[in-house]
Formats: sequence, C-alpha cells, structure tokens
Amino acid sequence: MGQANRQRDANANGSTLVDLSKSSTREWIAGSAFALPYLLIAGTFLFGPLLLALYMSLYDWNALDPAQSQFLGLENYRILLSDPDFWNALWNTVYFVVLTVPPIVVGSLLLALGVNREVRGQWLLRTVFFSPYVLTVAVVGLLWTELFNASGLVSYYLGGGNWLTSHDLAMPAIAVATIWWQLAFNFIILLAARQNVSDRLYEAAKLDGASSWRMMRDITIPQMQNPLVFVVIVTFVNSFQVFGQPFIMTDGGPSFSTTTIVLYLYDTAFTGRQFGYAAAVGYVLFMILIAVSATSYYFLGGDD
Amino acid sequence: MSTKSRTRALFDDVSLTGDRLRTIGLYAALYGTAFLFMLPYWYMFATSFMTRDLVYAEVPHLIPWDLTFYWYEYLLNNSLIVQWTANTVILAAITTLVVILIDAMIAYSLTRLDWPGRRAIFAIIVASFMVPGIVNLVPVYIIVSELGLVNSIWGVVLPSAANPLGVFMLVQFFKDIPEELEEAARLDGFSRLRVFTHIVLPLMRSALAALGLFIFIWTWNAFVWPLLIFQDDSMYTLPIGLVTLQDNLGVTEPGVIMTSAVVASVPLLLVFLVMQKHLVRAVEMQGTTK
Repeated sequence: MGQANRQRDANANGSTLVDLSKSSTREWIAGSAFALPYLLIAGTFLFGPLLLALYMSLYDWNALDPAQSQFLGLENYRILLSDPDFWNALWNTVYFVVLTVPPIVVGSLLLALGVNREVRGQWLLRTVFFSPYVLTVAVVGLLWTELFNASGLVSYYLGGGNWLTSHDLAMPAIAVATIWWQLAFNFIILLAARQNVSDRLYEAAKLDGASSWRMMRDITIPQMQNPLVFVVIVTFVNSFQVFGQPFIMTDGGPSFSTTTIVLYLYDTAFTGRQFGYAAAVGYVLFMILIAVSATSYYFLGGDD
Repeated sequence: MSTKSRTRALFDDVSLTGDRLRTIGLYAALYGTAFLFMLPYWYMFATSFMTRDLVYAEVPHLIPWDLTFYWYEYLLNNSLIVQWTANTVILAAITTLVVILIDAMIAYSLTRLDWPGRRAIFAIIVASFMVPGIVNLVPVYIIVSELGLVNSIWGVVLPSAANPLGVFMLVQFFKDIPEELEEAARLDGFSRLRVFTHIVLPLMRSALAALGLFIFIWTWNAFVWPLLIFQDDSMYTLPIGLVTLQDNLGVTEPGVIMTSAVVASVPLLLVFLVMQKHLVRAVEMQGTTK
C-alpha cells in the first residue's frame, strides 16, 4: 500500500518530490486527523441517528428508560398503514405539494428568463425576487397570518373571510405564503443556469430564422436541463417536508385539514411521546422521498 | 435602445410593433410581480409604525398616517426581544465558525491528502444528501437529550454542524484551485497543518465567506431545532420568541407581531443588501454541485 502510494505520488508530481512521498503513514495520520472533527459530529448527529431511527421504529420506545422499550417488529409500520390520521396527513401533504411545486418551478423559471433579458433595473428585480430567501419561516408564517386574517389585506380585497380558519382556503393560503418565500432559491439557480447558456447558440438559431418559442424549446430548456431537474427535486423534497408554515399559521387546523406529515410526526413524537411510532413515520417519509426523487430523475433525465 | 429609435422603429417596420408590445408586456409582468412581492414587506413595516386605531381600522391601511413607535417600546418593555436577538447572534456566529473550521478541514483532507477510505467516506457524505432532515428529528433529539444538551446552545450547534452541504461545496471548490502553491510550501518544509493555515485557508477566503454567510443566515432562521432544544424563554432565538409572542398574547396583536417580525428580519435584509453577491454565489455553488 505504501509502495503503491509512493509510486502514485512519484508519477503525479514528478520523481523529485522525495520529501512528500517518504511519509505515507504520516499522510494517513494527517488525513484522518483533518477529517476527524466533522466525521465525529456527523457520525453522532447524522449517520448514527439514521440507524437509531430504524432501530427505534421497531420498538414501542420508552423515552424515560430506553432499556424498558418493547420490541414490536414491524408492528409500528403495520399500524401506520391502517392509521387514518397518517393517511390524512399524507394526502394533505400531497395536496400541498401539488399546490406549491408547479408554481414555484414554473414561476422561478419565468422570472429567471425575464430578468435575464436586457431589462432596466435588473439589479432591483433580482434583489426583490431573491430577498424572501433570507427570512425565517417564523416571519413568513406570522406575516401571512396577518395578511390572511379576517381583517387582513388579502381577505379585504379578495374576500373569503379568514382564510386560515376555512376548511377549503387554509391550505391554499399556506401555499401562497410558501410560494412567495421559496421561489427565491430556484430563481437564483435558474438565473445562473440561463446565464451559462452560450449566446452563440441563439445567434446561430436567429440566423436560421428560428422563432423565440422554438429557441426556448430547442435551446433554453435542453441547455438548462440539469439545473431544472435539480430545482424540481429540491422543491419536491422541501414541500414534502413542510412544517413551519402550518405549525405557525394554522397548527394543522381547521379540523386537521392542514396537518402535514411532518406536523403529524412532530405531534406524535413530542406531544404524544410515541417516539418509536414517529420514527416509523419518518422512515416511511424517507422512502416516499427517495421514490419521488428517483422517479423525477428518471422521467426528467439528468446527465449527472 | 433609446426610446427615439424604438418609436421610429414603430412606424418604420410593422413587425417591430410586436417586439415593442412584447417589451411592454415583459416590463409589466416583471414589475407587476415585483410589486406583489414587495407588498408583504410594506405591510409589515407600515403596520409596525401605525397607531392602534389604524391597525384595528375596518379598512386595512397601507400607509401609517399617524406615525408611532409605540409597538417598538411595547416590545422592549414587555418581551425578551433584546435577549433573543443576542442569543440569535451568538448562536449563528458560533455555528458559522464551527462549520467553516470543520468543513474546511475535512474538505482539505478529502481532496489533498491520501489516506485509505477517503473515497468511500466522500461517497457516503454525498449519499447523505438524500436523507431528509426530518427523518432524523426523533433520533437526534433522543441523542441530544442523552448527552444532556437539551436547553444548551451546543444541542443546536452540533446537529447543525453535521450538515454535509458545506463539505460538498468546499470539496467542489478545492477541485478548482491548483495544488502547486501547496506543493511548493511542502517542499519548503511546511507541515500539513501550516500549509492548511497559511496557504489553504487564505486561498479559500471567498468560498469560505460565501459558505459562512449562508450558514449564518441559515442558523439565524433555523426553526424546528431551536424550538425543540431551547426550553427556557431566556434561551430562545428570535424565530422561536416571535412565535411564542403570538401564542402568549392569546389574541394576535398585529402591531406587536409585525414589529417583532421587523426586528427579526431587518438585520438579515441589510446583510443581504450589502453581501448579496456572496449569497448568490453560495446558492449557485449548491446548484452546480448536484
């Protein structure tokens, strides 16, 4: 092994670097030492918990005395699949995803393409569309709670009374707040992606007399394919994990119509103290997200 | 591009009128959307300066005809908002420092030092992106409480520092900077630690600034984790304090809520205006890495 390393170093750097190659053991030690702090933290708070969650999901977990936990096998998962509250939360989440993902993806794409044109005040527009990115969900939730209040701006001009206490309007209200907040990240990614498309492609197309619609379809979209796939997956994953907005704006109400899956998980764990069951909910969500990401990746096709 | 040539074009060539209409449409769409985007901000700021009468008027007001600092004084005297602001700054600063240090170290190790298993470890770190943070909500809470870190600042700092995003961003960045400088320094007898502190860190200043700004904002805004870990109201960060403010008052008092929202968001909006370039860069680094 040491031999091989020395050989590789010699090949890569020229044969003069005796100094660098003489100490592959020290290089091992240095390498691991530099990696250690992150690996310790990630092991304790990222990789370890992932295994612990799987383990916990097989138990009726006793938070006060884990040794007293009772092994259930797959019972938690079986209960979960016949739990109407879980299904309600899952469908609410799917509804929220449907309400938010298309507007966020399409909206950020349109704004990115628009701002990329030679428009006056480009900096101003970019700043405005990007700015909600630096807000905490607490500010977003509270601000839109006021706007959707019975006497708030939205209800006053658009009607609907207090949107957040209406069975039909509460989720759309949360979706509107989310779109306003989450468009920013995608907008910046797509604006950068559009700026990376070579102007020459468009010049050539113009010479061939291509319409702007054709240029959009045959140049812009294909050239931006990878960032678009990235944006779609990130938006899906974020929307599936929505928590703060319903927690603050409606607390899952009225009558559980905005209880999303993470809100359900949170309540099960930290109000109901059913940690094993909540861990199972987390794992099911994990599987759903992997399936969704893999599916969008497969259908939209990314190069890397 | 001048209006004059545009106007002439309007008369000269009929096909160009379509262009002009399209330009008008583009401007209307962009600035119209921008106006809608700004309305919530305006509402937040305006309400924080309105008298109680205006806040509770039947017709919602957008302009604070009667300016008052009543709500700001009220918040100062009746809530821990100063304490919460200090907590938020301290938490965000510590997390940023920890993340920059450990992420730069491991990124240096993964790209520049040769040791067994580093490829496998990098592959695992990349794969961990697929793990939604929420799966770990319950087990990390159990671990944090076993370690006795509930209600401690480290109970928030350490789980945040496990985020693989920074490692990934910095590894991508390392791949783009040439190794020659470091090699020259090694030949001059610099130890690896000295190469890291004297050559690598200065070279990476801009990437670290982008990552640092991103982590600072991320931590300032963090919600779920501080909500679980900080249980005394004297430990709250701004986002948590704001939400309890709404709960404790029972009836939401729009003036108080909007004013606290201003306090929580203005520092970051100012940072954003000044350092937008770095933040754009941090976001772009994420977009190109996946």
